[in-house]
Amino acid sequence: MTAPERAVIDRTSANASSSDISGDPYIRRMGRSFIIALHGATRAIRLYPVENEAVKKALDELTSVTTEILTREGEFELRVTSEFIFINQTRLRLDLDNYASFTQILSLFRAAGVGIARVMPGVWPRDWLVFLSALQAPSEGEAEDRFVDVAERLQAGGVTLVEIAPPSGVDDDGDFRERAKEAAKRTYSQSVAATKDVINSVRMGRGVNLKKIKRVVQGIVDQILNEETSLLGLTTIRDYDEYTFTHSVNVCIFSVALGRRLGLSKRQLYDLGLAALFHDVGKSRVPLDVLNKVEQLNDTDWRYIAAHPWMGLLTLFQLRGQQELPYRAMTVAYEHHMKCDLTGYPKNVRPRTLSIFSKIVAVADGFDAATSRRVYNTDVLSPAAVLAGMRDNPRRGFDSVVVKAFINLLGIYPVGTLVVLDTFELAIVHSANPNPEAVSRPIVRIVSDERGNVAYPGRNVDLTEQNADGGYLRTIIKTENPDRYGITVGDYFV
Amino acid sequence: MLVKAARAHQLYLHNNPTYLRALEIARAAFAPIWEVTDELVFDVTETELRWYGDAVLRESEKATDNIPWMMYKDGIRELRFLKEFEHHELVPLLDILQRARKVSPEEDDLLTMLWEQEFSYLRYRYIDLSTDQAAPIDKAGFRGGEAGTQALQESAPPIDSTLASVVKLEDFDSTLYFLEDTEVEYLREEVRKEYEVDMRRNVVAMLLDTYETQGDNSVREEIAALLDTLMLHILSSGEFKTAAFLLRETAQTSERAPGITPDQKDQLVRIRERLSEPDVLAQILQSLDEASQLPDQEDLNELFDQLRVRALATVFSWLSKAQTPRLRVLLENAAARLAMANTAELVKLIGSSDREVSREAIRRAGAVRATAAVAALAKLTTDPDVPVRLAAVQALGEIGSPGALQFLERTIDDAHRDVRVATARAIAAKAHRPALPKIEAAIQGKLAKDANLTEKMAFFEAFGTLCGDPGIKLLDGVLNSRGLFGKKEDPELRACAAMALGRVGSEAAIATLRRASTEKDVLVRNAVNRALRGGAA
Repeated sequence: MTAPERAVIDRTSANASSSDISGDPYIRRMGRSFIIALHGATRAIRLYPVENEAVKKALDELTSVTTEILTREGEFELRVTSEFIFINQTRLRLDLDNYASFTQILSLFRAAGVGIARVMPGVWPRDWLVFLSALQAPSEGEAEDRFVDVAERLQAGGVTLVEIAPPSGVDDDGDFRERAKEAAKRTYSQSVAATKDVINSVRMGRGVNLKKIKRVVQGIVDQILNEETSLLGLTTIRDYDEYTFTHSVNVCIFSVALGRRLGLSKRQLYDLGLAALFHDVGKSRVPLDVLNKVEQLNDTDWRYIAAHPWMGLLTLFQLRGQQELPYRAMTVAYEHHMKCDLTGYPKNVRPRTLSIFSKIVAVADGFDAATSRRVYNTDVLSPAAVLAGMRDNPRRGFDSVVVKAFINLLGIYPVGTLVVLDTFELAIVHSANPNPEAVSRPIVRIVSDERGNVAYPGRNVDLTEQNADGGYLRTIIKTENPDRYGITVGDYFV
Repeated sequence: MLVKAARAHQLYLHNNPTYLRALEIARAAFAPIWEVTDELVFDVTETELRWYGDAVLRESEKATDNIPWMMYKDGIRELRFLKEFEHHELVPLLDILQRARKVSPEEDDLLTMLWEQEFSYLRYRYIDLSTDQAAPIDKAGFRGGEAGTQALQESAPPIDSTLASVVKLEDFDSTLYFLEDTEVEYLREEVRKEYEVDMRRNVVAMLLDTYETQGDNSVREEIAALLDTLMLHILSSGEFKTAAFLLRETAQTSERAPGITPDQKDQLVRIRERLSEPDVLAQILQSLDEASQLPDQEDLNELFDQLRVRALATVFSWLSKAQTPRLRVLLENAAARLAMANTAELVKLIGSSDREVSREAIRRAGAVRATAAVAALAKLTTDPDVPVRLAAVQALGEIGSPGALQFLERTIDDAHRDVRVATARAIAAKAHRPALPKIEAAIQGKLAKDANLTEKMAFFEAFGTLCGDPGIKLLDGVLNSRGLFGKKEDPELRACAAMALGRVGSEAAIATLRRASTEKDVLVRNAVNRALRGGAA
């Protein structure tokens, strides 16, 4: 077997495992309908008397969707964990159009102490009515007690076709997480490699293989749609030597993730991702000694730096080999340092309206740049401080709605932030809490004991976890500088 | 069956019974397979689709039209159809195969199309031929190493780091981070606008802004070259409005860019010059004539407005060549605007050695009533070529200025009947009284002998229009008088006289007509009745 053939086979198997993570597309599609139907029925039961036509219709719809899945799959298992919802082992995607339904169902199941619901063939609307009513009337006390209460209500209601089980803990999704993490790492490393290749090709004046970049962006979009946490986590890797490339990939990841929250279609996410990946391509024309200069930049250096947006525009014409020039990427490369009032750079002569893609990339770029340590920027700010600055300082010129959505995406303690808990443990923010009301209580990875002894790989905890008295088990008291503890945040995501 | 369905998808409209039948057959072909398995997996080779090693589809060559090669060349190595594929996703797949056949290699590839479609019942494996093996990410590959083990209390330096901070929860009122409905609506609107905006126009504006703000010669040279390239992309995508924008804004930049040198200015101006060249413009018009979709009139006008006046000749020569009727209409209208705005060029083109161009210029000169063209047109009234003389006479008649009509008096006795008829009609239409003696001479002269009914009618009507009551006597003589042996005039002449009297229209003329109302000759009687009804008016 020749070396290239080996590479082909490896790539094939890599793709195979990647597609496993995405799960069954049929279930993903039907799962979306199910979530919306379940949320609709829950709302109807809460708002109207049971005999109301709206309740009947909503329960019929829910039964119909469930029956269709049962008929095709032969089984129906709904599993709700701290962050995810699975149907028959396929994790459902969280999108803008199912955001409310998704988070409500997570909260509902969590409050009732229910982790799994198995539905049997022949389920009736009445079964759903009893189950959803029981879910919405949980008793007080520990999660186990609340679960028992729901189970008893089901039994009393004569429901035999819906079986429930308690959740099996935060790390219930271990397998899934591991596979997702592996896929994310593969996507990330391929993205950095491809970006490096393309930017170096541009710098050397060689032809650019745009297909390679297409696959990279498609991979990032798929990953974000399937499981964004792992890929967002990898943006905490701040590679000093490879900053230009990792920064481009990070900005692409943040932009696509933000675009997803804003409800962009898959194709739009691809367009946005491509534009984001190339936003700094103009730097390929800036001399390396200026880019890597440690000392204060002089006027000439600054002129180079300030020229990179329009240089990006010119450089993107080099991406021949395609019928259509990358106009959207050109616009983003040109506009990403313009402020909402059109100040910033480059200077405008003709009237212009900033592209929303440029606004998104500007926020992603601003965040990643401000939180990354580089040769000329050793005093980086904490992610939380950067977000606060972006939100509060109008002189930064970011679009306030996009910043708000970005904070919504990352949480006020963005992924990768080192925090100190009131238990004196150190923790790294792993992901925003899926419960949008718990913006200050992300999922964190505890990376030390209470005496500060740093541990690897640590363990994940949900900061919304409460004790029997209803008090939180852990609360963030402040953010910290990872360097002080010799912690490399990226390691915990790799 | 799949190949046949793909072929039918390509060839027939989607309500065509042959196409629907092909789909039905393809769907039916899956049914026996689903009785034994839930998925159908094919290996893809360069020329075959294989099922368990046996070729189920074999093509003789690696042609872009062949399904195995289309897939293979894009890296697809395995296709997996799931049960019910045929009911839900057969048509989308056929659509994609058809699109993939048509696209150039540089556009969206088959993999991208499949990726975008998000099939539920079709899966595929592919190899990425273009992506090198990326270095795996591991901790050692990046900066930093294993996390250290330091006691919190021992290691903490003074809290002066920018990274250490207390996040005030009151600063982050959680409700703030739910987007309001108005904010969601704003974002949706922004995304909608993003996909409506003309990106090419935007890029043109960015290039020209850069040109105006960057004085460096090499940058300006590069931008001028890119604008040239961009113009081709814009034209090939049929964005004529954007092309017009590029020309207009480039002209503006060439006037106002700070410190622009004559050479730089020339370079910018050359874009418009080149596009106005006959060869280049002819290529554009040719491609339009072959295009499936034509631009809006307004867009085409905008572009033509930006061209050099010499483009007019090319447009004129294309009016007769265009095969697409709608394009002819578009060009007609655009040419009219150009002609109106550039009469000097129009006059010049009247004398063009290219007969098509000259004839079109003559026609346009008349249509836009270009008085400046009278002298050039008058010159052509003596051209040996009858169609040219005829066109010139018609144009002069349309212009209708005293000067133009004066020249028409000379063509009343042109050697060719069509020219004479056109002259008479033009004179009648403009009621050009100075021509009356010559018209009268014509109807009293050889007209009676040599002319056909059309010519007689044109001249008599012209006479009736110009003569007024003083001419009734002559007309009455033709219509009602008898000759030496009591014989009346030729019925055609009498009918013409009746129509001419109708044109006079006075009471005396009506009375003269009434006297002939009982005429036995059908031709005359009909003409009289028509004239009495005002039909000759």
